[in-house]
Amino acid sequence: MYRIRFHGRGGQGMKTASRILGSAFFEAGYEVQDAPRYGAERRGAPIFAYVRAAREPINERGIIQHPDLVIVADDTLVPVPASGVLAGVSACTVLLINSTEAADVWQHRLNISGPIITLPVAAEVEDRADLPYIGATCAGAAAQLIGVIPQQALIHAIETELGGLGSAVVERNLENALAAYELVAPHHGLASEGAAPHAQDYERPDWADLPLETARISAPTIYAAANSIEVRTGLWRTLRPVIDYSRCNRCWWVCSTFCPDGAIAVSADGQPQIDYDHCKGCMVCVAQCPPHAIAAIPEHQAQAEESQLAGTTGDPP
Amino acid sequence: MTDTTTRFRRMKDLPSTHLLGTGTPMCAGCGGLEALHEIYDVLGEKTVFVNAAGCMTLLSVYPFTPFRGSWLYTAMASAPAGAQGIRDALDILREKKGLPPEEDLEVVVLTGDGAAYGMGLSATSGAMERDLDFIYICYDNEGYGNTGQQYSGATPHAARTATSKGAHGFAGYKKDLFSIWAAHRPAYVATVIGSEPLDLARKIETARSLKGPRMIISLAPCPTGWDYDPRDSVDIGKLAVKTGVWPLKEYRDGRVLHTKVPHERLPVEEYLKKQGRFAHLFEPERDETLLDELQAKVDVYWSSVELQGG
Amino acid sequence: MSRTLLTGNGAAAWGARLAHADYIPAFPITPQTEIIETLAQWIDTGQMDSRLVTLESEHSMITAAGGAAATGVRVFSATSSQGLLYAMEMLYTVAGWRTPFVLVNVSRGLSAPITLEADHNDVMAARDCGFLQLHCATCQEVLDNTLIAYRLAEDERVRLPVIVNLDGFYLSFTREPVIIPDPQETTAFVGPFNPASIHFRASAPESQAVAVLGGAPYSYFRYELHLAAQNALSVYDEIRAEFRETFGRDYPAVDAYHAEDAELVFVMLGSFATKARAAVDQLREAGWSIGLVQPHLLRPFPEPLLQQLLAGKRGVAVIDQNLSMGKGGVLHTELAAALYGHPDAPPVLASFIGGLGGRDITAEEFFEIARVLRDAVSAGRAPLPRLLYTRDELLEIRKLQAVAHVERKELGKTT
Ligand SMILES: Cc1ncc(C[n+]2csc(CCOP(=O)(O)OP(=O)(O)O)c2C)c(N)n1
Ligand code: SF4
Ligand SMILES: [Mg+2]
Repeated sequence: MYRIRFHGRGGQGMKTASRILGSAFFEAGYEVQDAPRYGAERRGAPIFAYVRAAREPINERGIIQHPDLVIVADDTLVPVPASGVLAGVSACTVLLINSTEAADVWQHRLNISGPIITLPVAAEVEDRADLPYIGATCAGAAAQLIGVIPQQALIHAIETELGGLGSAVVERNLENALAAYELVAPHHGLASEGAAPHAQDYERPDWADLPLETARISAPTIYAAANSIEVRTGLWRTLRPVIDYSRCNRCWWVCSTFCPDGAIAVSADGQPQIDYDHCKGCMVCVAQCPPHAIAAIPEHQAQAEESQLAGTTGDPP
Repeated sequence: MTDTTTRFRRMKDLPSTHLLGTGTPMCAGCGGLEALHEIYDVLGEKTVFVNAAGCMTLLSVYPFTPFRGSWLYTAMASAPAGAQGIRDALDILREKKGLPPEEDLEVVVLTGDGAAYGMGLSATSGAMERDLDFIYICYDNEGYGNTGQQYSGATPHAARTATSKGAHGFAGYKKDLFSIWAAHRPAYVATVIGSEPLDLARKIETARSLKGPRMIISLAPCPTGWDYDPRDSVDIGKLAVKTGVWPLKEYRDGRVLHTKVPHERLPVEEYLKKQGRFAHLFEPERDETLLDELQAKVDVYWSSVELQGG
Repeated sequence: MSRTLLTGNGAAAWGARLAHADYIPAFPITPQTEIIETLAQWIDTGQMDSRLVTLESEHSMITAAGGAAATGVRVFSATSSQGLLYAMEMLYTVAGWRTPFVLVNVSRGLSAPITLEADHNDVMAARDCGFLQLHCATCQEVLDNTLIAYRLAEDERVRLPVIVNLDGFYLSFTREPVIIPDPQETTAFVGPFNPASIHFRASAPESQAVAVLGGAPYSYFRYELHLAAQNALSVYDEIRAEFRETFGRDYPAVDAYHAEDAELVFVMLGSFATKARAAVDQLREAGWSIGLVQPHLLRPFPEPLLQQLLAGKRGVAVIDQNLSMGKGGVLHTELAAALYGHPDAPPVLASFIGGLGGRDITAEEFFEIARVLRDAVSAGRAPLPRLLYTRDELLEIRKLQAVAHVERKELGKTT
């Protein structure tokens, strides 16, 4: 059975990617399962979708723990543990990253032994939350890496899944998907089918007996106050607002009031400060700042500049 | 009618640091969250929020909460009844068990429009009828947002939602919850919006100064459900007011007062065309009939306001 | 202490009064209404220091009850049938909050067709929600169990809401002699409510009943609720012993009447169990070796005690006053699960459905059940489940159907 996971951000079309690949497999005569991870999907927040395909009926269900192929639409997610990109990745897993950096840079950075392939797609796109056609692109590359999906099946799958959006959209998606299909042709069939879990030689689940605990502990109650700040929603951001303090006229803190998340505080002398750990990158402040003192910078660019400054290798802030 | 003694006389009086914690899972650019954090700055932490099912239920997901005060999630239909239980219990504790006044809390119901205009309306009506001392905040994103923006009793005419995708959008009309609430003669009813923070702060302060049911509806521009770029959230909110689509008003002592009258109203389509949910009114061609109808509705509203002298 | 004539509803109201319930969210429904009317009157005349608020539905009533209990006051409420089901979403919800309070349910059959009379389908529908359940057979039990229920609910080893169940009409509107215990003794027995960590206070913020993401934390919270409910079994025994010492009346988790030496046993819940008790007396007189096992606690399910009491019996007849559509009697099903594979489990476990919608069960029917059970034991196999329903009753419905203009030809075929 093939087990494939797509990682991206809300808005990047990972569900579409999984559906295109699912349909293409189906077209090629496979039994298929495709699904998005269900939850509160937020634009920019890490999400994933997955596909299973086999010649036999599929009885496995749910999230894929041990993927044969992992496709990452947005390389800024790779080092973020909360995005789960590397969960269950072993030496047998093929990792395909949409990135302008070379595969060996990633190999070194992540220190993993399995094959890594990079796909430099749409690097020029400013806001990665709406990388156009990235879903179809990922699906196209995946189809080639798997190697059992004829090009015609891929084309047909894209037409089926995106037909409702009009022929222009289908055309552009086909173009991008087929370009990716060609681009990774040297790695044709690199991803192979993983084995079924072994019933004889397996890692035993370490079941625990739940102790009875008092309701104070075991009721779904939070006794802490405002501890949501421990959640770093800053990693949803694909654009970064940056204040040019020479232009900020210390108004009545427009940016701070309008920031939906309250992620901009104003110091005693009237200077606003953006909390990048939590700013989700909605750009409301950029739109509202009266003297236009806030600029929107692509997040991956800002991170690259930061890491150059810090002389490190691009770990997230 | 808003208090002249308000501490919010000009923009600079608005708080510049904020009480509600960051790190919540609301969408980037959520107009509801914007209103809530502005409201929370005024209400403060001596509050217990009683929530009904909706997007904001995810504000507190174990083990994280953005609140400095308390919170109770109930169900979709009965948050006002939860508020009743808590308010009554706090009163009993104060009267019978010597709970010191400084331990008391303002009880605040927080629900979406789906709960407020529909499933929870009977519980809200009951709470007002019993003259419950509470504040109700409805963030109105004009649909069942948390389940993917199906139409609700608050969805405006012609809007496209997940359950009204036809050529003309939603066939029904937005319910007038302000009037329904006001008909109960509660202590206070007001409409607010996050993009008008001064008006909002004054009204929340007024609500705080009163006793009894104090009912707030905040229009909540929703990038996800209304289909626009999150950066436009505040602009769309301002347009809702400038076009007259969202009248800012308050009800007190049997009278309705408009707190921000858009004297030179912009055409309604300025508001509509910024949102994907109304795109079918402009593409592939302009739907003049519907656009005229939507403009006429707003015109009729404001001419009746002028007739009544504001 | 005084002995007086009280209805079941009156006894429930006395229970709430003696327990000093601070707060009573209410909503009227037959046959429960008398409880809240009684309490309202006591409050109005100053005989009871409490606050009663009528909500606009039972869904809201249970929400308010949970909200008040979560704030730290002692709460009482009451409902019945449609009301219990209307509140169903909130029954699960407030149990999940781990709020302790007492809800009296006056059992009444469920719609459709709508009826006012008693059976247990309402309370059985609430079986899995996390409320503990005490089932009463007499008006005295209603009063006593309400007191016990507060102790059980508020015990920090449990901390769950409790339903005290009584049958509509057969108890709710029926007067019997009831001992109203001395208020000083009841006050001492129930004690003040110590809310400990349950509160909303300015100085100690709490976010209660929050959402979870993912199955693992969800499983933890739900299973802990289950463990707390199970733990209530031993806590109940402690409270029951204390009650017995103070008031001289005893309510074991499962009551056994002539069961120890019996070969055959009836199993029944609620007020009709006293009818079974009378039948046992008559049958014993006629030379039968028969007894009655009457669970008093349904949640937590007193499994070990039931296994022990039924061990070695030759035949057991479970008489369910409820019906799980497409399956049968709920108590029968639960008992079968409890006995399966147990050494000495009775070889015959027969199922009878009776008393639906207040339909009486006559003494003769109990005798007949005993006979059927004995025959089944000799034959070595359980009989098919039987609805207690006579040919006369069938004729009666035929007459009604004729008036209702059901096709006569159709009727001819089935009679
Ligand atoms: C009894 C019940 N029915 C349905 C739901 C599913 N549900 C959860 S949130 C929601 C939408 C609520 O809409 P609204 O009140 O407008 O809040 P929003 O999601 O827009 O924030 C629905 C229908 C529920 N939680 N409870
Ligand atoms: S769906 Fe709309 S209302 Fe809900 S969190 Fe997102 S932006 Fe806010
Ligand atoms: Mg809504």
